[in-house]
Amino acid sequence: MPLLQIEGLTHYFGGLRAVHRFHTRIEPGEIRGLIGPNGAGKTTIFNLTTGVYRPSEGRIVFEGRDITGKRPHEISRLGIARTFQNLRLWVNLTALDNIKIAFYAQIRYGLAGAFFGLRGRRHEEERIEAEARRLMRLLDIEQYADVVVSALPYGIQRKVEIARALATRPKLLLLDEPTAGMSPAEMMDTMEVIRKLHDELNLTIWLIEHRMKFVMSLCQHIQVLDFGEIIAEGPPDAIRNHPRVIKAYLGEMVEA
Amino acid sequence: MSIQQIFNGLQWGSFYALIALGYSMVYSILMLFNFAHGDVFMVGAYIGLFVATAVLGIAASGLLPLPPAVTFVLVLVLTMFLTSFVGMAVERVAYRPLRDAPRASAAITGLMVGIFLETGNLALLGASRRTFPPLIETVTYTLGPITVTNIKILTIVLALLLMLALNLFIQKTKTGMAMRAMSVDYAAVPLMGVPMDRVIVLTFALGSALAGAAGVLFSMTYPVLEPYMGLLIGWKAFVAAILGGRGSILGAVLGGFILGFIEILVAALFVSTLRDLIAYSIVLLILTFRPYGLFGEEYSARLRI
Amino acid sequence: MKGRWARFRRWFQGIPVASWLLGGLAAATVERLVGLVVAYTLGLSGIPSFFGLSLILANPAQIPAVLVYLLVMYALPVYLVARATAAWTARLVTRMSTRTYVFVHVVLLFLVVYFWGELDSYRLLVLRLLAISIILTTSLNLVNGWMGEFSVAVAGFMSVGAYVSSIVMVWGFVDDDVFGPAVFPPTLASLAFPFALGLGGMAAAITALAVAIPSFRTRGDYLAIITLAYVFIVKSAVENMEFIGGPRGFMNQPNVAGFPVVFIWTALALWVIYNYTSSTLGKATSAVRDNESAAEAMTVDTRKVKVVAFLTHAFWSGVAGGLYAHVIGYINPSSFGIVKSAEVLAMLYLGGLSSITGSVLGAVLFQMLSEILRPLQLAKWLVIPVVLIVVMIFRPRGLLGFREMRFPFLQPRPTEEVGYAPASD
Repeated sequence: MPLLQIEGLTHYFGGLRAVHRFHTRIEPGEIRGLIGPNGAGKTTIFNLTTGVYRPSEGRIVFEGRDITGKRPHEISRLGIARTFQNLRLWVNLTALDNIKIAFYAQIRYGLAGAFFGLRGRRHEEERIEAEARRLMRLLDIEQYADVVVSALPYGIQRKVEIARALATRPKLLLLDEPTAGMSPAEMMDTMEVIRKLHDELNLTIWLIEHRMKFVMSLCQHIQVLDFGEIIAEGPPDAIRNHPRVIKAYLGEMVEA
Repeated sequence: MSIQQIFNGLQWGSFYALIALGYSMVYSILMLFNFAHGDVFMVGAYIGLFVATAVLGIAASGLLPLPPAVTFVLVLVLTMFLTSFVGMAVERVAYRPLRDAPRASAAITGLMVGIFLETGNLALLGASRRTFPPLIETVTYTLGPITVTNIKILTIVLALLLMLALNLFIQKTKTGMAMRAMSVDYAAVPLMGVPMDRVIVLTFALGSALAGAAGVLFSMTYPVLEPYMGLLIGWKAFVAAILGGRGSILGAVLGGFILGFIEILVAALFVSTLRDLIAYSIVLLILTFRPYGLFGEEYSARLRI
Repeated sequence: MKGRWARFRRWFQGIPVASWLLGGLAAATVERLVGLVVAYTLGLSGIPSFFGLSLILANPAQIPAVLVYLLVMYALPVYLVARATAAWTARLVTRMSTRTYVFVHVVLLFLVVYFWGELDSYRLLVLRLLAISIILTTSLNLVNGWMGEFSVAVAGFMSVGAYVSSIVMVWGFVDDDVFGPAVFPPTLASLAFPFALGLGGMAAAITALAVAIPSFRTRGDYLAIITLAYVFIVKSAVENMEFIGGPRGFMNQPNVAGFPVVFIWTALALWVIYNYTSSTLGKATSAVRDNESAAEAMTVDTRKVKVVAFLTHAFWSGVAGGLYAHVIGYINPSSFGIVKSAEVLAMLYLGGLSSITGSVLGAVLFQMLSEILRPLQLAKWLVIPVVLIVVMIFRPRGLLGFREMRFPFLQPRPTEEVGYAPASD
């Protein structure tokens, strides 16, 4: 059974068609790539998958369950986590709090516990903190735990966002341009991190990326999007030499 | 609804619309609720009172015998001119220093300026109420069951004229266009070669001038002035601006008239003490189904907090 | 300058909060015993109600006398006792569990304030009103601070809470013209008061639900307008209810809101809101404020989070309204107009958003300012706005916006609870 299966996904903004009959089938343990020029509809597909928009047409099935039209927090509870193209951290909170809050759905005390500090709460808070710190160690950012995130360097903020996504205990992690705005060295570092997550946590990853080199070396299978439609798909080598990809990308991706 | 009430609704709608415009204009360029605006209206009414007393005094002294129509226009124009400075002062003191601050903080300074204006008035002029002198002799026209005063008609006509003039200004002049540009994209204005501060100051000046006009027109019908007169009408005009649609000029005008009509209608159909209860429940209902107001657009992407 | 500050700090270094509170207790005792004599000796007309703040403005010639009074009556006893007991309390305090530590300090604080306030009925009244302001400000902070929306409904919630609890109490425990003879023995009034307050708070929360359901579908300034309309509606509704006096107001509330009662409710409100905002569940409220779509994507049920914060605000404002009604013993619809909301907003933004100590500080400073400036009468309302504008200009996020006040040098060890220590000296 595929982890995520999407069929006939189409979405309109007003009268504008952003995505047209997109389909995919992601198997557990895969690192899948989604590439395409700016405005091709990649982020829209992520937004549709995570429930930010309700698709005009099509079906999204996660672990055999139809999740089309569910609200984002419900979908994320089922095990789909994501990062954002332009960081969306909670800027007034510390890195640790950013990660702890993502445990929201797993908190085992209710409102009464929160308001009156009942017995189970302290224990639970300690557990959450320990797990959050474990994730920070995994990404090598524990020393920034108590810093307000807006004061952190960009690369660290990216990692906090990944740690935050991991805190929701995802089975599938969507990364929206994880290397945007990074230097080549930082990019290599991010590549290592993603490999590590994939290998150590046995995580299935679906990523949008602009840099060919990055996608080619990470993904086993790549889909190319242009004007909301799939123009090519297959293993990296097939994509690299695909005439329509070269045409769509001419100039844009060569420099990246 | 009788024709009588249509006139009443139009009259109150004119007051609300003139004041609501001030809220809306400031909101559209700064995304800020100018909570001092109701009190600017109050100050406008008092300025009108003094200007009227002075002009009538001069006219009565025989130095410059003026016909009532000229007196009225003179009072109106002078009041609008002077009140615009109140708005500019409010902007300078309460809003400009906080332009990069959280908007809620600016809303608080606005509230404080409002309290300052009310108390300042009370301290300067004392608690006794002032009476606005009659500028024009009231004439009552009776047509069957309908009675309408000339002042009521004057209020409605003048309010509409002022709104048209404002619209013309915004559509045709360079500064007006800069205002519109700014409401779309805050950062675009300096690119147009118009200094941002000037656009903002002018917006406050225009909004306040309209509030001043509302002050004069209001006082001609309800001549007893007191320092807190701007409080309720100001908040209500604010609601009207929102009802029409945040930052929309047409929305503010229509929102003002709609609120005026709702209030008059409710008072006519039910007990008048239930007016606020029912009128604002209707407002609540409208906003439930049209969260961005009747003529507003979804704008959340622009929010600058 | 820095060196002087350090030396100044060293004076206070190592004296635990508990010692300062003991000092306060000593000062209150001294004032009780010899306050009047000292005041007369110094030529004052009586024991100054609030540190002689208003006396100074009323008659500057009294400044030296007031200063001497403050020194003899407060500063000396407080400092001497604090210094003397420092070593002892430090040892004691370090051995306490956090829970005991907090409890002991709250009890001490209560004793100091009550002992000091009880000397003068005016003091007691102001202290109770201050406590109510603290509840209002802190609970409003939940919505305007942690949640990042702009609500002005606080006066409306107060009104609902005040009227509901008043009705319950007057119907149950007072022989009243409208509600008839007392249903229960009036001696039980104090016992029933918490339930009446709870009912008032819940009534406020239920009406809040009507506002919350449409409001939280959209973001932005929507809540400001909806809550404004709400205040108008509540005021108008109450004005039209003849059985509770309509615009003439409602009185005869039994005298059940003494200082201890108000204090306990205030402590409870602060404790509950502190608990919530420091729990991960409650911190999700800030996540909604900072980025709602990210919160949704991270499993947070944002709608629920918003409704919880808003209803909590409504509940506590309702409770505060109930307390207010029984402290004053009379309410009318105009007590809860938009001006009341503006006052609470001023306290909130003065103190700072998303900060419990900030809210307490804002309420205390505002009330103090109000007391100091009382002799100015009308001009008071010229000075207060100017002060607030100046504060906002220089500290746009309030005095303690987005951070809590801590006094590390006052404590032998770090703890969470020192919030309302300054009220004691």
